[in-house]
Amino acid sequence: MTSIIEFNDVTVKYNGDPALDGVTIALGAGAIGLLGPNGAGKSTFIKTVLGFTRAVKGTVNIFGMPMPDRAIEVRHSLGYMPEIEVSSPKVSAVAFLTYCGRIFGMRRVDALERAHEVLNYVNLGDSRYRTMETYSTGMLQRVKLAQAILHDPKLLLLDEPTNGLDPDGRIEILDLVSDIAKRPNVTVIVSSHLLPDVQHVCKQVVMIDKGKVVHSGAICDLTIPRLEFYEMRVRDSDIAFVKEVRAAGYECARLHPSNMLLVRAPHENNVQALFQIARTCNAQVRHFQPARRSLEDAFLQAMGKE
Amino acid sequence: MPIYTKSYRRYDGQPRRHFRWLVIVEQELKTLAKFRVFKGLILVACLHIILRLLQIVAYDVLAQDPNHPLQIVFANLDIAYIGPATFFSFLYLQTTITFIILLYAGAGMICNDFKNNLMEIYFSKPLTWLDYSLGKTMTLVALGLSITALPGVLLVVLHNLLLPGMDTLTASWWWPLSIIAYSLLIVVPAALCILACSSLLPSQNYAAIAVIMALVANSSLGGLLAGMLRQRNYFAVSFPLALRRIGETVFQDNRVLFTLSWYWCFLYVIVVCLVALAIVLRKVRHAEIAS
Repeated sequence: MTSIIEFNDVTVKYNGDPALDGVTIALGAGAIGLLGPNGAGKSTFIKTVLGFTRAVKGTVNIFGMPMPDRAIEVRHSLGYMPEIEVSSPKVSAVAFLTYCGRIFGMRRVDALERAHEVLNYVNLGDSRYRTMETYSTGMLQRVKLAQAILHDPKLLLLDEPTNGLDPDGRIEILDLVSDIAKRPNVTVIVSSHLLPDVQHVCKQVVMIDKGKVVHSGAICDLTIPRLEFYEMRVRDSDIAFVKEVRAAGYECARLHPSNMLLVRAPHENNVQALFQIARTCNAQVRHFQPARRSLEDAFLQAMGKE
Repeated sequence: MPIYTKSYRRYDGQPRRHFRWLVIVEQELKTLAKFRVFKGLILVACLHIILRLLQIVAYDVLAQDPNHPLQIVFANLDIAYIGPATFFSFLYLQTTITFIILLYAGAGMICNDFKNNLMEIYFSKPLTWLDYSLGKTMTLVALGLSITALPGVLLVVLHNLLLPGMDTLTASWWWPLSIIAYSLLIVVPAALCILACSSLLPSQNYAAIAVIMALVANSSLGGLLAGMLRQRNYFAVSFPLALRRIGETVFQDNRVLFTLSWYWCFLYVIVVCLVALAIVLRKVRHAEIAS
């Protein structure tokens, strides 16, 4: 697999303080999540890909082209949705996107056509003709996403795409991003400190902390099943079941809001004993599977905070 | 239930790689044209142009027609005479409204992009800081020249058309060059200074106030120095008067305000332009390349 983004021992500093510290990583195609706490270096990573910040040490190659030397060529294939709120108050979303398209180098007709197309895609409806000063945060997020995909980039960089959104708006934006990530030959990098957002969209994650890559890999490899933990859902007599399970030496907790039971078996006990307890209590086992490690656990472990 | 899959098409077009600054010029002018105040200011600038047009028509048509009853009035009226001084006076009077228009158009041009966080969006596209700076500067220069050099040159052409002949042509062939040169001297420093303030300050109001304050302070200083030291050459400290001194040379006007060589005034203008340009380029470059 050819690497789309290649960082070799990259160090980026702001006023002498390293924001990225000796980062070496190669990222291929697909949806990739950049995870890390605030100030970890996620935005700096994205800005280095864009050529906004320059490495004081190491090399950066995007699509095999060195950055920032060939930044203009690289930016033909890049789409970027910044974290900060963006607005062009006196113009409509259509006019703004047409302008963005023309800056990209599109003909006026093409830019206008694509502006309507992507605004329709991000569900802006008739609001697209209103001036942007009247837009809500959610609508501005959609405009930001629309301008990023306007020229159909091969690499889409989304910095905190759900910033400031209500739960519904968040889901809608994440669904759009997931849909974009399914397009052929499109790589999406989503930077976020919200683990569910990354899990919703991405197959791979890169965890960054204090300017260093602390872990990278597929999400499914991080969330491996843990053999001593089990997820269970029981019907009828579940209170009695929990009581009995605890009496038998298991640790048992109720998960909210799914009402699932998380049971930790002591090493000497086997799984069959749980079913025997259920039979004794007259409880129906409706769901049973080894519990997977959550991305949050993996993240905390990578950050050294398990 | 939607009857089609909502998506967007692939873009296979070949993007234009050059003259991206032209897009910025076009967009800025289009946005400005939406504002009523801007239209009003342009109208005021046009009124002066219309007055000069009437002056040319009066001199070239009425004053040259011995049978016309008003001929005697216009032929002996000094202010109706058409010569290089007419165009110098036209541009000199047009300077104030040009400055106001440029201030209105340019004070928010860069600071609003910073304030609305648009720089990251623009520079994530294949747009360089040079394209951006050139686009903003050329917008103001084009706007300024459209109310100074363009009408000036057209008025000279009209003068030649209404009063055809080798005499008029021989006398006026260099006027368009002087008009263009003096218009550039009025427009370019004003545009660059306004953009420099716009890139340095957080809002268009601050930028406009800063430009006006600098202009007032510098004109007052020139007047004070000239008055206190009883030396008229100190008027050259005042930027508008330094421009006027160059204008007098360009239009071969002998009614000079002070005797200091125009070279010094030109050097002063060049230094101001270079400082303002350096500020604009530095700020815009920093927006694209943060570290």
